[in-house]
Amino acid sequence: MEGAALGDGRDVPVPGAAASRRRGSRSRRERLEARAGLALVSPAIAMVAVFILFPLGFCVYISLTNWPLIGPYHFVGLANYTALPHDSVFVQSILFTLEYTAIVTIPILVFGYLMAVFVRSNRPGASIFRTCMFLPYIVGLTTLSFLAEVELQPGYGTANVILSKLHLASINTIWVQNANLALAAICVLVVWLASGFTMMLLLAGMQGVPEQLYESADVDGASWWEKERLVTIPLLRRSIALSLIISVVGSILAFNQFYIITDGGPGTSTVSLVMEIYETFNTAMHVGAASAMAVVLIVVVGLITFVQFRVLRSDDA
Amino acid sequence: MPETRRPVHGGQGRRRRQSGTVFYVTAGCLISAIFVVPLLWEVLRSFEPTQAITSAPSLASFSHLGIANYRSLLVGSDDVVRNVLNSLGVALATALLTTLIATLAGYGFGRFRFRGSGVVFAVVLVGFMVPFQAVLTPLFLELHDLHLLNSLVGLCLFYTAFNLPFGVYVMRNTFIQVPNELVDAARVDGASVMSTLTRVLRAIVMPGIATSFLFAFLFAWTEFLGALTFLTSSSVYTLPVALSNVETGTTYGGVNFGYLTSGAVIAMVPCVIVYAALQRFYVRGLISGAIKG
Repeated sequence: MEGAALGDGRDVPVPGAAASRRRGSRSRRERLEARAGLALVSPAIAMVAVFILFPLGFCVYISLTNWPLIGPYHFVGLANYTALPHDSVFVQSILFTLEYTAIVTIPILVFGYLMAVFVRSNRPGASIFRTCMFLPYIVGLTTLSFLAEVELQPGYGTANVILSKLHLASINTIWVQNANLALAAICVLVVWLASGFTMMLLLAGMQGVPEQLYESADVDGASWWEKERLVTIPLLRRSIALSLIISVVGSILAFNQFYIITDGGPGTSTVSLVMEIYETFNTAMHVGAASAMAVVLIVVVGLITFVQFRVLRSDDA
Repeated sequence: MPETRRPVHGGQGRRRRQSGTVFYVTAGCLISAIFVVPLLWEVLRSFEPTQAITSAPSLASFSHLGIANYRSLLVGSDDVVRNVLNSLGVALATALLTTLIATLAGYGFGRFRFRGSGVVFAVVLVGFMVPFQAVLTPLFLELHDLHLLNSLVGLCLFYTAFNLPFGVYVMRNTFIQVPNELVDAARVDGASVMSTLTRVLRAIVMPGIATSFLFAFLFAWTEFLGALTFLTSSSVYTLPVALSNVETGTTYGGVNFGYLTSGAVIAMVPCVIVYAALQRFYVRGLISGAIKG
């Protein structure tokens, strides 16, 4: 189908050749062009429709039913939603995810900003330092969560050994037995990993700041902080907003680090929202409830992403 | 540190600049160490036998460095070679498919006028707003009905779909930047739609292609939650899922931290290689895809 339409594209007339019936030929050319364009975008549309949009609608549909894994189902209205506030683990997972997001967001931005300021220099080594600082993000949170689990082991994990040598913690600290300790360890891991990504986003924005602005600030005898405050940050508003939004959405969608390092424990105290959806579906097999939770998540993330587009567009004007 | 960021002009400028450079490089090495040393430490640890990893680190524990973990993981009876190949296959297929479909769509959106093109493009961008983590339950049921559950093909299609919004966005921006004269000249020469793409535009849109390939590859290679949800038999597990079974002691008759550490290092290698090779396209992607609205 696609091939045939593309073949038609070959018939696009040479400009001028059909001068005698210009009007007709132009509209024919436009028709062919429109058909070729549609054919080119159709595979992408099909993929997005089948694997993103359909599941999205299906999710809403399931959330209104008592969907069992096998057998018939019937509509239950908003029952799955009205049950959510009474699901203590779900409520706790939302509060925990918000707590986690609140803790990591600002450190990621501040460290990412300072690192970007450091590596935007054209001094020797700057690009190597940039790569080094970005390396943990490239390696990925899944892999690093496995390694963090090893290094947080009581008695021999490297983190415990170093902290005990510094007399900051016992070598036998069992991080995952205490929700606060587990959260603290995971936050350190995530800030360490994600700062590099914020650094790259801000660095991309900083490339648009004209060098002359710094030079004239130098002439005026501006201090480092004055230059950042008066030159960089105002021009970087959009990049800062974008990196904040990406970081907040990423935190709200957290799963790997909690699943791997704490498995939600002790008890259910470190179950993140995505992990609760996963457990509700995979372990408890409450398809309708899991879908209702997912719809809540989609609305929250959709709103944040919508704000992102607004932020991006507002500065274009 | 920050005060010495820029070259100092005037009087004894050169000497101050030199000492500033020394200071900068020293500080840079120290900061970089915070990010790189833990990774190198894990590479070193991966050559320790499990008994050494599970006893407090001491100089003595490094006297038994060897490739025992790697031998078990790569050629032993406990090998994860199949999982590595599964991951590699899925990551490469996802990257290629994403790049192909995104390039065609970017060409269509960027260079062709057709009714509804704006609406259709907006629909693709809606994909940006849907976190894949939220639609795993309906996707599980859908893939089950399509007989694509517990299948690397199904996983690859899922990864591709969720990488397409970014890929299409990047490729559309790439094609829009192509000068009109170039395309018109090709038309005058009688080039078809596809030969214009493959012969005339290829070199110009290569950076966009590299960007969408790189992002899709890194996503598919490191993705965990989707693979965990959709893959149920060990023969199709990707590497992260296989490692999570090592981590919980489901495989190898109990937790083996030596295997886990070495397996994690194996998981790092392709990311580092692909990133090192295509580094400049990553930054490009961040600029064209994320920053320019």
